[in-house]
Amino acid sequence: MSLYDVIIKRIREIQEKAEEEEPITNVTASAMLTAELTLIASLLIAVVMIRLVHPGLMIILIIAISIIALMAMPIMPKLRIEQNDSFNNMIFYVVLALGIIIALFYWGSINV
Amino acid sequence: MNELIAVMVILPIASALFLNLLHNKDRTIKILAFITAIILPVIPLIATYGAHFFGGYVPLAQNMTIGQNLPSLITGTQLFQFHPGIVYLFNSAQQLMIFILCLIAFFAIFTSINEIKRPSGVYAFLMFMGTASVSAILLSDDIFNLFVFFEIAALAQVGIIVASGIKNNYETALKYILLGNIAGPLLLLGIALLLGITGNVNITDIIFSIKNGLVDPHSPVILMALGLITFGWLYASGLPPFHTIKSAVYSKALPHGAALLQAFSVFSMVAIGIIILRIFSYLPFSKTAIIGISLLAMVLGITMAIVQTDFKRILGFLAVGELGYIGLGLGLGTAFGITAGLFQAVNEAIITAFLFIGFGTVLYKTRTSDTRKLGGMMFINPRLALLVLLAGFAMAGVPPLNAFQSKLMLIQASIQSGLPELGMIMILLSIVTFMTFMKAFYTIYMRPKPAELEVIDNKIPKSTIISMVVFLLVCIILGLFPQIATNSLQALAAGLV
Repeated sequence: MSLYDVIIKRIREIQEKAEEEEPITNVTASAMLTAELTLIASLLIAVVMIRLVHPGLMIILIIAISIIALMAMPIMPKLRIEQNDSFNNMIFYVVLALGIIIALFYWGSINV
Repeated sequence: MNELIAVMVILPIASALFLNLLHNKDRTIKILAFITAIILPVIPLIATYGAHFFGGYVPLAQNMTIGQNLPSLITGTQLFQFHPGIVYLFNSAQQLMIFILCLIAFFAIFTSINEIKRPSGVYAFLMFMGTASVSAILLSDDIFNLFVFFEIAALAQVGIIVASGIKNNYETALKYILLGNIAGPLLLLGIALLLGITGNVNITDIIFSIKNGLVDPHSPVILMALGLITFGWLYASGLPPFHTIKSAVYSKALPHGAALLQAFSVFSMVAIGIIILRIFSYLPFSKTAIIGISLLAMVLGITMAIVQTDFKRILGFLAVGELGYIGLGLGLGTAFGITAGLFQAVNEAIITAFLFIGFGTVLYKTRTSDTRKLGGMMFINPRLALLVLLAGFAMAGVPPLNAFQSKLMLIQASIQSGLPELGMIMILLSIVTFMTFMKAFYTIYMRPKPAELEVIDNKIPKSTIISMVVFLLVCIILGLFPQIATNSLQALAAGLV
């Protein structure tokens, strides 16, 4: 099954979950594909900055993220489900972000 | 002392309160709102740079009457230098940003009083109150005063959503205020921790205490305060994890309201971001964190924008994505990078307001923002379509428009800072921004008009077209002569390094 087919299948699943009855158009599919590629490309380029910490770690992370991205593809439909207007999701990510920020700011400010 | 510095905040508050009393007096509201709104951008242009001490409470060192007769116990310590009252600082950067904010406020109010058949005093109240609050956030050198206006701005934003009358607006407003009930108190806790450890709420004095060893700069309390203030900053700006609600907020406001709301977010982000850099820039991780959060905002905002089908939501996510560029500039931490970030903030505020008002004309003619139901709008008004197209070009960074200059500066700054990867991501996301905009533009304007689409036969008000033309002119002027803005921003940026 090609990446395009996988994306179409995932969009159908999301539409079924959201009870949307709109047909899947070329515009919808190509938009999702663009978002998918942008997300992965941006992530991989961003990981290259880890070279400032350690070049070896950067290589390991790039390989690991490439493998995870390939296995988890397509990511964008899943991300879209998570980034919806549900208040429960919003609160979950807000609390998660608060925890990460406080932990990282304490640890990072002492170690970075 | 310059009273006009305080007038930038007092005038919009006074007019907001007065207009609120004039509910149902449509003509009077229109005239008064127009007069006040046109005065607002003029004040920062005629005010002189300096500080305004509320209540006349200058530091003892500057008070010749009291300062001379004090014992050495006071004159010999830092108490002599500290600021006892609320201080507003006004320099060239604040002048430019408040001018742009008030210009957007003027055109948002000007458009609203012409597009809405029965202008409401309450709606004008909210727009003026929000403008006053964000102006105060930009001016204030007192972190508690900033928090008070942060809360007022959040309430004004909720009010603007509620006043829109768009379907499900109450639900979005409620979600936004509930999330604010988490972020606001945590920001206040961060401020309280700083007050507890430094004994001050004046930002200059807090910095003095930290830099001169009066407190331990690596104290866990200060690190906790940094984390909490950063969390409040994310809410005020709409950076992740608040990007979803912020884009929903924009989509549930009327186009002129959304134009103003995004300007509030941009300038709140800049103001609080500057404070974070002023107080905490000695901690390298603060800049790393700003870069990380900004990257996340860019990637999530722009990738989510492209998969949306509602043009207001597309613009909302794009606006969040563009905030990431501003954050990257601030996070780079160099004078050039911060100047580029601030310039991008000025440009983004104008361009996004231009786009919201431009696409708002489609909503005005069709009463729908669903791109799947739209089409053929170019044949209905080709000149408006051209203006919207140029606004989209500006957002994507097409030369010779303003965002081209700021994005180019940001890319140069990232390369100079030894982080070319950030430049690559910015270029990639600018291309995707352009594609996202063109996708929306094609579906709304260029493809054949769907048979079931009803176009209302009402003429677009001239005020809307005037607003768009002025925004375009500002984009072209700042694109051709970027030094008009960058010269004003350089001093502030240099002071943060």
